[in-house]
Amino acid sequence: MNERVNKLSRALARADYAALVAAVPYAGYLGLSIETDPDGARRYVMAYDEQLIGNAGLPALHGGTVASLLSLAMQFEALIDMPAPRLPDPVDVTVDYWRSAGPSCCIATARLIRSGRHVAQAQAVCYQDSPERPIAFGRSAFVLRDV
Amino acid sequence: MTDCRGPAIVSVMNETIDKRDPAVRAEIARRFAEAIPHNHAIGLVLEDASTDTVRMRLGYREVFLGDIESGLWHTGITFTAADSACGLAVFLKLPGLEAIATLDLRMDHHRPAVADKDLIIEAYCHHVTQRMAFVTADLYQDARERCVARATATFTRTGRSVLS
Repeated sequence: MNERVNKLSRALARADYAALVAAVPYAGYLGLSIETDPDGARRYVMAYDEQLIGNAGLPALHGGTVASLLSLAMQFEALIDMPAPRLPDPVDVTVDYWRSAGPSCCIATARLIRSGRHVAQAQAVCYQDSPERPIAFGRSAFVLRDV
Repeated sequence: MTDCRGPAIVSVMNETIDKRDPAVRAEIARRFAEAIPHNHAIGLVLEDASTDTVRMRLGYREVFLGDIESGLWHTGITFTAADSACGLAVFLKLPGLEAIATLDLRMDHHRPAVADKDLIIEAYCHHVTQRMAFVTADLYQDARERCVARATATFTRTGRSVLS
């Protein structure tokens, strides 16, 4: 198909997550990187940048960037974890805010809950200092496009 | 919770301001936009806060795309635009200078936004209770009837002034 699908397929086959992120300009703009733990679990990291601040007084990250991180984490996790490569387009996303995010990097973990013929569903949480103090929770549905 | 819209609005403002006064609304809107560095970074600008419907514009940039080849915006950027517009709609609806925080936000993505065109965000606060405010936003490019996305959000009222 098109060049983008080839790029994504190559990156997926090699588990080259930097190339995967590079194929999505907005993910790069947000400073996203995908890290893999020794046990194979993936972490989606939004690097801190003062431009991400939403409230200079607290200070706190903009709630929109936290939502974007969760949404991107769920989308990438669905893309990586799906048995056959298909492109997950977000249909709806809900974010619950549990506490404000301070001026430092933010880490999300995501789980593909279900992947059907046409629709997939995922969940994600994000934290800063410790997973014991989660900042926000997200859930998303995706419509799956064949590649 | 995010965005306890903090000590952004100070000096000439006090708890007895009249938010129906167009000059006051304009001043609040100006300070609200200034106090949020990320809005400034992405180029989100306020177009109209003279009525209960707050309208903002996010100018097109290539870094907002999810897919360069097909020229479609990534859905992620819509959250920032919607959260900011919804927050201002709520703040203007409440009496006084009460600080608010986003409790939850749902985004329905109706169709992709296309490259080279700006995104318009119109937010409206439907209902306010003692502790909560309910708000929706429509995001579109050409026509409001052809929404790119619709956001539904609930904000908590902190009970504290943004001045405190």
